[in-house]
Amino acid sequence: MTTIQVFDPALCCSTGVCGVEVDQQLVGFSADVDWAKQNGAIIERFNLAQQPMAFAENSVVKAFLERSGADALPLILVDGEVALAGRYPNRTELARWTDIAGSAEKPASGCCSGSSCC
Amino acid sequence: MTELHFLDHPPRFLFFTGKGGVGKTSIACATAIQLAEAGRQVLLVSTDPASNVGQVFGIRIGNQITPIAAVAGLAALEIDPQAAAQAYRDRIVGPVRGVLPEAVVKGIEEQLSGACTTEIAAFDEFTALLTDSTLTAGYDHIVFDTAPTGHTIRLLQLPGAWTGFLDAGKGDASCLGPLAGLEKQRSQYKEAVDALADPQRSRLILVARAQQSTLREVARTHEELDAIGLTQQYLVVNGILPEAEAAQDLLATAICQREQRALAEIPDVLKTLSLDLIELKPFNLVGLAALRQLLTTDLLAGTVSEVTTQAIQAPNLAKLVDDIAADGHGLVMLMGKGGVGKTTLAAAVAVELAQRGLPVHLTTSDPAANLTETLNGVLDNLTVSRIDPHAETERYRQHVLESKGANLDAPGRALLEEDLRSPCTEEIAVFQAFSRIIREAGKKFVVMDTAPTGHTLLLLDATGAYHREVSRQMGSNTHYLTPMMQLQDPKQTKVLLVTLAETTPVLEAANLQADLRRAGIEPWAWVINNSVAATTVHSPLLRQRAANELQEIDAVVHQYAPRYAVVPLLREDPVGVERLLELAGHH
Repeated sequence: MTTIQVFDPALCCSTGVCGVEVDQQLVGFSADVDWAKQNGAIIERFNLAQQPMAFAENSVVKAFLERSGADALPLILVDGEVALAGRYPNRTELARWTDIAGSAEKPASGCCSGSSCC
Repeated sequence: MTELHFLDHPPRFLFFTGKGGVGKTSIACATAIQLAEAGRQVLLVSTDPASNVGQVFGIRIGNQITPIAAVAGLAALEIDPQAAAQAYRDRIVGPVRGVLPEAVVKGIEEQLSGACTTEIAAFDEFTALLTDSTLTAGYDHIVFDTAPTGHTIRLLQLPGAWTGFLDAGKGDASCLGPLAGLEKQRSQYKEAVDALADPQRSRLILVARAQQSTLREVARTHEELDAIGLTQQYLVVNGILPEAEAAQDLLATAICQREQRALAEIPDVLKTLSLDLIELKPFNLVGLAALRQLLTTDLLAGTVSEVTTQAIQAPNLAKLVDDIAADGHGLVMLMGKGGVGKTTLAAAVAVELAQRGLPVHLTTSDPAANLTETLNGVLDNLTVSRIDPHAETERYRQHVLESKGANLDAPGRALLEEDLRSPCTEEIAVFQAFSRIIREAGKKFVVMDTAPTGHTLLLLDATGAYHREVSRQMGSNTHYLTPMMQLQDPKQTKVLLVTLAETTPVLEAANLQADLRRAGIEPWAWVINNSVAATTVHSPLLRQRAANELQEIDAVVHQYAPRYAVVPLLREDPVGVERLLELAGHH
């Protein structure tokens, strides 16, 4: 089974609401993660402010931070290899990585879960 | 000698709460002494950053239970909230220091440098005292000179705060585990919160001064803590100027009248609480003998004094404004803890600038609004606007809940709602509203009675969200400055730290200064407000207070402030142009 690991940037309060604007991508992505999990995908998320050890112990993530800094997060690994950086994946991408059958299913919100990443 | 209500049949835990400088620590010390001398075993716990408990008893206490030799049955413990927060940060950040890039580590540390982290970390230290029977079994009473805020308690009660990342090590973006750095088990925090809410075990004593703004704030604290089950509450109004003093001079008369009026108009929600009044004492509250006398309600005979203490010579506000005016335009922000008089001083600075013929926009978050309303349209080149902090916070809260909260499950949504009740949220919402006006500072003076903390600015800046927001508002082709860049430039922005000439307020202002410096902002000046030393007084109690102020003013001048002004305590409330000018030093 494929494992997707998401390395989130540090969010300030527990819920990350302390920004001037609420990150709509994050909202959409949370919904997509739920959808993928319900379809059997294995997805792990790590927050830099709460679990920095997870970042330090993974050589790929550590090297990424050294090269590009925390501003370049999020980083998404699929089975330990870099699949995406700098933005969250959309539902289609999650489906492709995890071989979810019927990946043609319509995304919940717009073309890519409310983010403007299309 | 009559017994004070809050000392009547005290339960095991006593918590004193109130804003900095009202005398919580002194009253807590005096209470602990009284209980111990009545034959009980007492533990006194202080989180006062001024940490004068050790000084009071003439010994070093620190972060371990230390017997007080001078009082049989009394032991004390000092918790340093800043040190507790640092330990909390170290638990999370320590293992990756030197492993992850330095900039990344610094970023994480800033995330954990807010007031909320300090609160949670201090509560972590409390927990053992409320629940660990081996540690505290020998004590009949444990007296705390502080109490956790409603926000902290509610957060600890929420299941959502404990799930997600914390339990499974992975979860939704909604539950990032704010309590991840806590050491103890959730059951222990639950036990601690239960102990707090148990009237058989805990009593909460709200400490205030006889001032309208302080009593309003205490009323809010009362309602918030009452709502989460801390129903055993008492009210103590400390430092009341005895009526015998009123005859001594006009300032004393005015203070007495103002205090009596504040007590007569006490907020309704506080009227049901049992009330104790403690008069201002003619001695410093240092040493055992002085503290034993603090809680006596015996009236001290007023002594008539023929001696007069002259006002000190110190730069006034008008002189500071001369230097501000020289630049012709810019942003002036007054910053300080609640109740030090930021709005009044902002109005005084604005009026001073306007009197010099300069264009000024005064914008305040003054909840009472009468001060600023009286200025509207009075001077040609002065415009006044007001931001309602509650309305702005509510709008921001709704926006976040509708957008971000839409897809959350019930515990996640509850956690989000609690985060939106944190002090940071209001600060951000209000500053957002102000930042629309800040742009005017390129052409005229903009005077604000609030400023974001350095912590908030760093977070906003770090997320980059602010840059995006600004560029969106300004249009993409315009060359723009981020607020952070504008705030860091002393030519464009002057931060005035407002404080009172008392130990705790000065310390709190120094902490605000350190916080701003972390964000690369250097406060331009300090303003010491409501100074009795800056007036001429006969009343023995006021002369005593004036003498006490001198060492605080000295600390501000020599340790903290690049430049400063002292504003005298006035007989009349400084409302209207004339009195604001008087406040600034015009006679």
